[in-house]
Amino acid sequence: MGVPMIAFTVLWVTVPFLLGFGIYLLPRGDRLLTLGGTLVSIAYATTLFLQAAPLDLHLLDSFGVTLLADNLSAWFILTNALVTAAVILYCWETGKSAFFYIQVIILHGSINATFVCADFISLYVALEVIGIAAFLLIAYPRGDRSLWVALRYLFVSNTAMLFYLVGVILVYQTHTSFAFSGLHGAPPEALALILVGLLTKGGVFVSGLWLPLTHSEAESPVSALLSGVVVKAGVFPLVRCALLVEELDPLVRLFGVAAALLGVVYALVETDAKRVLACSTLSQMGWVLAAPEVAGFYALAHGLAKGALFLTVGNLPSRDLRVLRQQPIYTSLWLPLTVAGLSMSGFPGLVGFAAKFSTLKHAFPWQVIALNVAATGTALVYAKFIFLPHQSNQPRGGWASAKPGLWMALTLLIGGLVVANIGFLGAYTWGNGLKVLAIIAGGWLINEGVIQRTGFSLSQSLEAFEHLIGFMSLMLIVLFWMGWSWLAI
Amino acid sequence: MLHACVYATILLGFFGLIFKENLVMKIIAMDVMSTGVIALFVLVAAREGIRTPIVSVMTPRNFADPVPQAVILTAIVIGFSIQALMLVGVMKLARDNPTLEIREIEKGYRP
Repeated sequence: MGVPMIAFTVLWVTVPFLLGFGIYLLPRGDRLLTLGGTLVSIAYATTLFLQAAPLDLHLLDSFGVTLLADNLSAWFILTNALVTAAVILYCWETGKSAFFYIQVIILHGSINATFVCADFISLYVALEVIGIAAFLLIAYPRGDRSLWVALRYLFVSNTAMLFYLVGVILVYQTHTSFAFSGLHGAPPEALALILVGLLTKGGVFVSGLWLPLTHSEAESPVSALLSGVVVKAGVFPLVRCALLVEELDPLVRLFGVAAALLGVVYALVETDAKRVLACSTLSQMGWVLAAPEVAGFYALAHGLAKGALFLTVGNLPSRDLRVLRQQPIYTSLWLPLTVAGLSMSGFPGLVGFAAKFSTLKHAFPWQVIALNVAATGTALVYAKFIFLPHQSNQPRGGWASAKPGLWMALTLLIGGLVVANIGFLGAYTWGNGLKVLAIIAGGWLINEGVIQRTGFSLSQSLEAFEHLIGFMSLMLIVLFWMGWSWLAI
Repeated sequence: MLHACVYATILLGFFGLIFKENLVMKIIAMDVMSTGVIALFVLVAAREGIRTPIVSVMTPRNFADPVPQAVILTAIVIGFSIQALMLVGVMKLARDNPTLEIREIEKGYRP
């Protein structure tokens, strides 16, 4: 670990915030400065990939900030950089104010910080900054409706963070240290309180039911950011803790599988395009947690594809899938939808395939069956988009000139979907290819045969505000019981 | 005893968050809850003594642990800024929903 690398890490953590406040002074350069900030992150992630040993930093004394940057962080940082860059490119011509870009870059910086921090207090600060920046981005249109959605988000996340803080002080009381590894040997109530905060922040299983409304009601570029990277800021610490503290590993995997199935069920019965995507995020976060060793790769695959899907869906004439089925969409929009949808379903040639197999390879036998069911469900969900009718008449002036920002963003994200395949080339065997094709074909057949013909729907009453808070207390009890009886930490 | 009071404060705040109908009351309930959390940090800091930890000629004993106190200072600032932000949001919402009843708001803004 050389001195230049330490300096680079510190610089990279601070640059987004400096840029964010710099934009207040130079509002003209907002877009260029924010894009520059994401480029620094890409450079940093690349350096981390080339680094052989993990970088372990203790700033100041024994109670100072501790950072841990390794390969796992590099995947998440790369996801964050690519999705943020795509969102900035998408917004390039839309006339957003400098304030929007300031929030985007501050959000980017605080998410970066969660991906390297190794103690609970730095994590707390980073998560709270994320909460505030995300609130401001959701409320950016300043309508009453978006304001309410943003307030609801801030309420839920702040309550979760209060529980988290109580857990943190209990860990401190046991070990006189805030390090992540302190979870080992901490009392079960501390474990339950910290986990409930992180599960809520990361939108995992029933604690994540705030997510569909928030992600579907925000503007498309903000939804892409929220679904692509912001939830991963809550998921990453769970992954990190599962890798550091062995006892937590089965618990995290169990929640992963449960979330993967729950999200798929929710996504299947939705008819609103953006809500389908948001519920699918619930399910995909489960996949990320299902195999903590390879979580980074899956997070990248999901972030890129989900970003592309949200940006494209924002340009469709309607959000209602029933309307879209009657009214053909442009082929130029259908194409990116299909490519990203195929990647999410795990089609060979796109990164989703490699990511699914690397997760399945590291999953326990009991997880594999459930995950295969979830994979079929995912194929089914995205069949809703892939089989939308489309026509080729173009808007006047050619499709490329109609929305230059969208095409630049999609080129970046979909290019990433193809290139990132090198992350796990071992997935490409005949057996795996045939298996995934069978899963996708099975999903599409079920879609044609059953889902299209039934109008089953789940009520949204569970997503009412009081229930979201109430679920937190239930999760707390369940987690406490799990920690107390199973884990014997 | 003190511990019980602190945990009771946190729980009361949490129940207020669930059971109060009005949005402003919910924010106040959240404030109560965060006050409880802050008190817990202070209490944990004071488990070995309550003296201010300052280097002096005196023999060092019964010092309070400065770390949780320093940490909670950050949390206090964050909590207060979030509450300010929320209150501004509520002020804007109140223009169209003067009662600020959460059920009415949710009904009105559901897709």
